[in-house]
Amino acid sequence: MAYLEARGVSKSFGKKKVLDGLTLELERGECVVIFGPSGVGKTVLLRIIAGVLDADAGEVWIDGRSVTDVGPESRGVAMAFQNFALYPHMDAFENIASPLRARRLPEEEIRKRVQDIAGLLRIDHVLDHLPRQLSNGQKQRTSLARSLVHGPAVLMLDDPLRNVDAKIRYEMRLELPRVFRKFGSTVLYVTQDYKEALALGNRIGVLLDGRFEQIDSPQAVYGNPVNRRVASLFGDPPINLFPIRASRGADGAVTAAIGGHPLSLGAARDRLAGKECVLGVRPEDVALSFEPTGNGIPVELAAVTPFNVRTVTLLKTADATEILASRPEDHSLASARGHRRCWASIDLDRALFFDSRTGARL
Amino acid sequence: MATLTLDHVSKVYTQKGLPPTRAVNDFSLAIEDGEIIGLVGSSGCGKTSTLRMIAGFESITGGEIRVGDRTINRLKAAERNVAMAFEGYALYPPLRVSDNIAFSLLRNRMPKAKANERVRMIAELLEITDILDLYPPHLSGGQQQRVSLARALVRDADVFLLDEPMSQLEPHLRAKLRARIKEYLIEHRMTSVFVTHDQTEAMALADRIAVMSEGVLQQFGSPTDLKERPSNLFVASFIGEPPMNILKGRVGADGSARRVEVEGESGRAAFSIPLPARNHVPELGAGRRVQVGLRPHKLIVGGGSPDAPPVRGTVLSNQWLGDQTYVGIEVGGCVILAVAERQVQAAVDSETSLGIDYAALHLFDEESGVALLHGADLLPAGSGARGHGSETGRG
Repeated sequence: MAYLEARGVSKSFGKKKVLDGLTLELERGECVVIFGPSGVGKTVLLRIIAGVLDADAGEVWIDGRSVTDVGPESRGVAMAFQNFALYPHMDAFENIASPLRARRLPEEEIRKRVQDIAGLLRIDHVLDHLPRQLSNGQKQRTSLARSLVHGPAVLMLDDPLRNVDAKIRYEMRLELPRVFRKFGSTVLYVTQDYKEALALGNRIGVLLDGRFEQIDSPQAVYGNPVNRRVASLFGDPPINLFPIRASRGADGAVTAAIGGHPLSLGAARDRLAGKECVLGVRPEDVALSFEPTGNGIPVELAAVTPFNVRTVTLLKTADATEILASRPEDHSLASARGHRRCWASIDLDRALFFDSRTGARL
Repeated sequence: MATLTLDHVSKVYTQKGLPPTRAVNDFSLAIEDGEIIGLVGSSGCGKTSTLRMIAGFESITGGEIRVGDRTINRLKAAERNVAMAFEGYALYPPLRVSDNIAFSLLRNRMPKAKANERVRMIAELLEITDILDLYPPHLSGGQQQRVSLARALVRDADVFLLDEPMSQLEPHLRAKLRARIKEYLIEHRMTSVFVTHDQTEAMALADRIAVMSEGVLQQFGSPTDLKERPSNLFVASFIGEPPMNILKGRVGADGSARRVEVEGESGRAAFSIPLPARNHVPELGAGRRVQVGLRPHKLIVGGGSPDAPPVRGTVLSNQWLGDQTYVGIEVGGCVILAVAERQVQAAVDSETSLGIDYAALHLFDEESGVALLHGADLLPAGSGARGHGSETGRG
């Protein structure tokens, strides 16, 4: 039995069914990210597990006992929200110590626990500072330390990095996994940022329409998505989707046309013959060449848009099909203006095929 | 479809009982015909005031604005032949989307058939053909923004001004529309200036970018210039995602050889980076306090070479993000983010080397933030990227 389980949880608000009998299991010490666009009920699920909201149906189990009818204070969970408010009149030490004081722990124990967590979060040199003397990053760390200090069995974080500036967001993304690990916390983490989900989750639950479409490792949700919707939620620029009709040629090979250009899909795609489907290709799996290549699709280079540490190109085929390609930062392309002839090669080993009607993986 | 020149332009806001606010200070920019320019900076830096002065919605306090040879700063907005897309969209609610887009074409007496054709074309580009018959109040924010963009881009104007043009675009459309708009602006040789708070958007779209802070131009250069040759610490930390690692340090000396001694948060020495003894190393006085910038994607996890001196560190985290990998490495108490192109074999808590490629290294004066050294200049000629055509403002 898993350490934390939500079984068959449903919740409606009026006529709107937000959660529809979903199930989630977490092992002890695991960080599971609940990921999905805004309004899919991620926070609602978190609040039901924390016990601050009742489900219409379903059960919550923690460490082998049902806590469905147990109040939030007795579930052994801690919850932190988007805004981490600190007590302005207390220094960082007292802010962090406050949950321990509420539990009337001995002074010696409090001192040790606060020092430990402060060291881990690199705020041990500012413990005597008041919140107004702390930088924004230090405030963020102080409030995180406060939610971790009493060693909650389950830590729930609701989009904690949403409203912080980029520098702090990157710092915290790097450091949170180590903090979770050192504390052995079982973590439920909500975000609508796919990069944060990939960065932090041991597993990611993709929540859509009140159910988990897929609960899997970062590698699996990105590289082996169960359907087209999941595939489209991960990646920026997003996955290219080409409607195709696979057919068997005279030589027996299964081929399909992209942008009017026939491509051999290889022997492994035999089962696709005769099917209408959608071919999904991630931009980083499209290679761009200025010389003709064996299986390259002739295209025009329509625009070059540098994108963070990568360079994204928009390619157009003769029939105006658009292909987005992405490669590591390439300054040689950066100043390119106007159309240029080139060839796009799709890495078909990494391509994904979806049913054109249901969107399911084929 | 003309040059645009801002010549020592200033804007001072005066309000009764308050000291005057200098929103834009002696700002000069020479924009070439058909060039795409991004104005970036944090909120309140004067970028939107600048755009509104070009459009004619704000008067200028000093200086001159010219389109081609024509001085426009005394003309009314409507007389400037400048098209603008507003951040708040400002669509006409009683007009259908198609009529909103066609409005200024028909006002300028374009034949109806030709106007319709233009509307159809821009609607396809911005994926709004299915909403052409709707009224603005029925549209989502992202759709309204696309209509507002269409209404500006469809026009024949000398200069196109776009205020936060893509802030509300739907994430799944953003990359494609950005590229399509760039293609369209280039193809039609449209001189354009857009304002954005999002440097990622500016880097994607612009030929050159003007970085502003507190009303003053910090640097005007190509995306490559800004990334590889930032003129000061403000530009260096504003441009680039993930942001540049910024650490404190000082210049150390061993005879004539120089090294950069980096300090941890507590002030203790964390690690040092030897600088090669080459002629073109600028004079850096021993003991000088500096801010040390390291570009994440130029650092080499598990690597090292004469042009990328290695330091030893502990892997804090190794996060694969699909098309890149973020690796957090602790070196002597400093946390450094490195970005690799692919998945990296570096187990958390294990020891690794981190190659500080000179191309990743930038030094800034501790007090003024002015750039002292771009590490790419330390590389043997021909191997490093060289900047060109960068104009540096007063930092």
